[in-house]
Amino acid sequence: MNPAQRRYIGRMIPVSIAYVAAIFAASAIIPKGATATPLTVGIALVPGLAILGFIWAIGRYFTELKDEYVRMLEVRKALVATGLTLALTATWGILELYTDVPRIPLFWVFPVWCLGLGVGALFNRLTLGDSGACP
Amino acid sequence: MKNRLKVLRAERDWSQQDLAERLEVSRQSVNAIETGKYDPSLPLAFRIADLFEMRIEEIFQKD
Repeated sequence: MNPAQRRYIGRMIPVSIAYVAAIFAASAIIPKGATATPLTVGIALVPGLAILGFIWAIGRYFTELKDEYVRMLEVRKALVATGLTLALTATWGILELYTDVPRIPLFWVFPVWCLGLGVGALFNRLTLGDSGACP
Repeated sequence: MKNRLKVLRAERDWSQQDLAERLEVSRQSVNAIETGKYDPSLPLAFRIADLFEMRIEEIFQKD
C-alpha cells in the first residue's frame, strides 16, 4: 500500500464513523416526517458534512497519488461511478415525472455512486486486468 | 505504442518489481506499460529513458 492509499484510508475511517453516527443520531432525534425547522435542518445537515468529508478525502487521494497508472485506474472508477449514477438517477427521475413509480429519496444518490466505484473496479479488471487500489 | 521495456529489463536481470522500485512506480504500472495496456506520460517516459541511459525513441516506437 502506498502512502497516498494509507492516508486515504486514515481519512475515510473517521469520516465513515462520523457519517454512521450522524445518521443514527439524526434518525433518533428527528421524528419521521418532521417539519423543516432550523433545528431539524441543522441536525440533518451533520451527515451531509460527513459526505463532504468523503468527497474531500477522495479528491485528496486523487491529487496525492504519485503513481500515474494507479491514478488513472482510480479516475476511471470515479468516471464509471459518475456515469452510472447520472444515468440511473436521471432515468428514474423521468419515470417519476411521468409515471407513478415509487419516489426514491435523493439520499440514495451518494450510496449509488459508491456502489458505482465497485462497478468501475470491475470495468478496470475486465478491460485492463487491474481493478485499482482503494474501495 | 510498442516498447522494448521487457527486453531491456531482462538484459539487466531485473524483475518488474526491481524496475518499479527504480522508477518509483507500482509493479502494476510496469506490467501495464510492458504489455502495452498503458502508455506512460512524457515525464515517466523520460525517467525510463534516463534509467536505461537511452533516448525515448530507442525504447518506445509507434505501432
